[in-house]
Amino acid sequence: MAQQKHTVNGIIKDRRNGELMIGVTVRIEGKPSVGTASNEYGFYSLSLPKGNYTLIISYIGYDEQRQHVQLDKNARIDWLLEQATESKNNLQEVLVSSAKKGKNLSNAQMGMETLDIKKIEKLPVLFGEKDVMKTLQLLPGIKSSGEGNSGFSVRGGATDQNLILLDEATVYNASHLLGFFSTFNSDALKDATIIKGNSPAQYGGRLSSVMDIKMKDGNNQDYSLAGGIGLISGRLSAEGPIQKGRSSFIVSGRRTYADLLLQSSEDFKDSKLYFYDLNVKANYEINQNNRIYLSGYFGRDVLGFGDTFGTDWGNTTATLRWNSVINSRLFSNTSIIYSNYDYKLNFSSSGNDFGLNSQIKDWNFKEDFSWFANPKHNVRFGLQSIYHTIAPSRVSGTSVSSYPKSTRYSWENALYINDEFKATDRLTINYGLRLSAFTVMGGDTYNTYNNGVLTDSLTLAKGKLGKTYLNPEPRITANYRINDVSSVKAGYSRNTQNIHLLSNSSGGRPTDQWIGSSYTVKPEIADQVSIGYSRNFHDNDYEVNVEGYYKQMQNQIDYKNGADITFDASKDIESELLFGKGRAYGFELIAKKKSGNLTGWISYTLSKTERKIDGINNNNWYDASLDKTHDVSVVATYQLTPRWSLSGLFLYSTGNAVTFPTGKYELSGQTVFQYSERNADRMPAYHRLDLSATYETKKKKRFQSSWTFGLYNVYGRENAYTFSFEDDPDNPGTTRVMQTSLFRWVPNITYNFKF
Amino acid sequence: MKKLFYLTCLSILFASCEKEVDLDLDNKSGTLVIEGNITDQPGPYYVRITRSVPFTNTNQSPPVTDAFITITDTQGQADTLQHLADGRYQTNNLHTVPGHTYNLFVKTAGVSYTAQSTMPAAVDLEGLQQDPVKMGSDTYYNILPIFTDPAPLGNRYFFILTVNGHTKKILQTISDNVNNGLVNQRSIITSREEDEEIKVGDRVNVEMQSVDERMYSYYTALVQITADRGPGGSVTPANPPSNINSGALGYFSAHTTRSSSIEIR
Repeated sequence: MAQQKHTVNGIIKDRRNGELMIGVTVRIEGKPSVGTASNEYGFYSLSLPKGNYTLIISYIGYDEQRQHVQLDKNARIDWLLEQATESKNNLQEVLVSSAKKGKNLSNAQMGMETLDIKKIEKLPVLFGEKDVMKTLQLLPGIKSSGEGNSGFSVRGGATDQNLILLDEATVYNASHLLGFFSTFNSDALKDATIIKGNSPAQYGGRLSSVMDIKMKDGNNQDYSLAGGIGLISGRLSAEGPIQKGRSSFIVSGRRTYADLLLQSSEDFKDSKLYFYDLNVKANYEINQNNRIYLSGYFGRDVLGFGDTFGTDWGNTTATLRWNSVINSRLFSNTSIIYSNYDYKLNFSSSGNDFGLNSQIKDWNFKEDFSWFANPKHNVRFGLQSIYHTIAPSRVSGTSVSSYPKSTRYSWENALYINDEFKATDRLTINYGLRLSAFTVMGGDTYNTYNNGVLTDSLTLAKGKLGKTYLNPEPRITANYRINDVSSVKAGYSRNTQNIHLLSNSSGGRPTDQWIGSSYTVKPEIADQVSIGYSRNFHDNDYEVNVEGYYKQMQNQIDYKNGADITFDASKDIESELLFGKGRAYGFELIAKKKSGNLTGWISYTLSKTERKIDGINNNNWYDASLDKTHDVSVVATYQLTPRWSLSGLFLYSTGNAVTFPTGKYELSGQTVFQYSERNADRMPAYHRLDLSATYETKKKKRFQSSWTFGLYNVYGRENAYTFSFEDDPDNPGTTRVMQTSLFRWVPNITYNFKF
Repeated sequence: MKKLFYLTCLSILFASCEKEVDLDLDNKSGTLVIEGNITDQPGPYYVRITRSVPFTNTNQSPPVTDAFITITDTQGQADTLQHLADGRYQTNNLHTVPGHTYNLFVKTAGVSYTAQSTMPAAVDLEGLQQDPVKMGSDTYYNILPIFTDPAPLGNRYFFILTVNGHTKKILQTISDNVNNGLVNQRSIITSREEDEEIKVGDRVNVEMQSVDERMYSYYTALVQITADRGPGGSVTPANPPSNINSGALGYFSAHTTRSSSIEIR
């Protein structure tokens, strides 16, 4: 006979500021196999047979709370967690946290890491601009495109194969100043999660990874102001309650001021060179079961020189969402999301103007349900619909008579269902299916090319539906807990991608263009299998995770050799593309020390990533440019005294695969270099050490401040940024190689305050 | 544009530095290089045949002196070229007409190479204008070629700019894709390198060639691999797409040519 079941549910918040808490563990005393965790909106739900229970709520760095509940009907219990004070709890904050110590063992999710933004503040960074994207690149399997580049490659994927979300909105270009900084101002952020290819079915649209970044909700208890000033930028944030204890807002801004210094010099007085970010977010509690959120991001880079030259680019995103507790077991999140990325560039000389611009704009609707069916099944299902508007790079100006490139429209839809199934006390299976559909919309002429040769052409009237690509994407991961300290995991997933970035550099430039799948460009497809093992030591103070993966990619896109991608490219850009496949495999290890005065991690990746593109390297496999065989990061923070802490960071990686000349010849007296196979050469290995020290001043009433001093590239390694091959001006008739390096010994000093 | 990016970056990156290094480069040289030009000006015309050399050698390319070379057209002309010296071969009596298509045949060391090129209709270069660009206290001079693009779409131009007769040239391609049928307003962007920039008093010569589509692609790619590489420097370089088959480097171009000079004031 089935026992009658009741549900206990509620919202978990931080008492100090009312921020919703994600991933807080909810357990039942005496029943180790029953439990759940709060979702990304702080909501939890647990169904249990009628009876008396003691609920235990725990989260690392917070005091554990217990409450007795007599469950003879559904109960609602909301929680306010108190941060553990230092006297009560000697735990140091951990840099990379699993919500609960030992959670890495029970969670079926693979290839996932979460960074708590508060906890990365002390790590040394270039110019002292703390940057969540740079910190994520210190984790195994995630490789930086290089210095001065915020692009990254996950498990052998391309930089455009990462879905970067800010409060659910896609950020199409996450870099500032040509890539030296990311668009994410840490002051406005709560946490960042990266999932390396095994994402649950609610995520989709990119092959390699999901980087899910959430903004802070704002303090709903009290008003506060925080800010900081560093070598190149200043930051200021204000937050406070709208309805005390129930709803709040936060506004956070950042702007660089290097241009103000530049303008004081005669040579640069007409120059413009800055970027800014503005993050705003507000939430409003309608009633206990309904809450709305509005969040927005505006960022822009501006670069210019008098009237001669100017360029600016940036992202705008806005998210309106409505959280609703429909009943004790069903939670709904409805969102309307807007994303926009555009750039403009203009030149002016002798009265002629010339401009270049491009844009990608999305309207996105999402409906997501979490159904806490019973303690064994936690089901997530929903749909997503995105309308893309993509304006290709287009020129304008006084000397432009025609331009044959029109704006293209496409419609991307998905249905998904995912079940987290606790099969036994030891076995958890997370399985799901995402059905994605991408429809080419009318308003342009679509050409079909086979190896660059035009084979068909179709003009679709505006508003008409063209070709639809339908792709089922099955995903499964399983976790088996061997004993109290170790577990094994395995997973398979398929991801598809219909929005592609065309770039002829591995790092990415603001002028790189996005295109949708079309009649020539097919959806990219990746299949990944992975296995992993986790073991915790010394009462979970140390954690070791290893994972191995093999990934296959279809319909990968590359430019032809010598493709004409200048702005007056005569041809349809699709005729300049080649297609092929990719494969990547590797081994990742991360060992963390999570408590004590010394915390940090060591990460190591051994990997291989290759491409086979029809028409390149005689159709043979070749190394992708971000194929870095070895990649090591060591990250450590040491609490020297209660006021002083020290941090260090060491990186080592194999150089990128590049193409160097294999000979030279002469045409009309000019030296021309000869090339043979693509990516057959290597940049030298990259390594460097960064150090920083943070001093926290004595707290006066509400006023808190800190100083951070850092040195980037402590031993002044001249890491090669580029090599150029040229005629030697000192020895006419011969050639030479010049190496350019950036950033030797860059010091920084940052002052932060809060009251 | 790349140079502007570079300049801006340099102004931020006070810590960047450049030095000469030794790199152990692979040697896959010895490839046949063909450089053939026929124009709408009176002949004779020349084809030069050499082989590529390792990076570490001097720039001297070893000439190929025993090649059999013919140029033919669709009108029944056939001209077997004579070797002069240093890998240079000369036509005897080839007569060229804009609009006609020419075929090059080269045989050496048992391998045959062929190429085809069509000479476009000539477009006149009416003159040059200096186009000063002020950057802070510096003034750079770009050069504006004055010409009127003919009404039909599809004109392709290649410019060779020489300063004071120096051997180092500045190359640029322009298509009529965005300014079809208009008087040209796009300048040739000159070097910003300290010892190469154009100064007042310099004599600048510009050769304008009207080329066919394949030569335009070739030159566009050639400009990309010879220009400054800029930040990131990671554009994957490759040999420009030659119109010669059998794996030879170089090109065979039937083009029209016009030149003009200007003194910077």
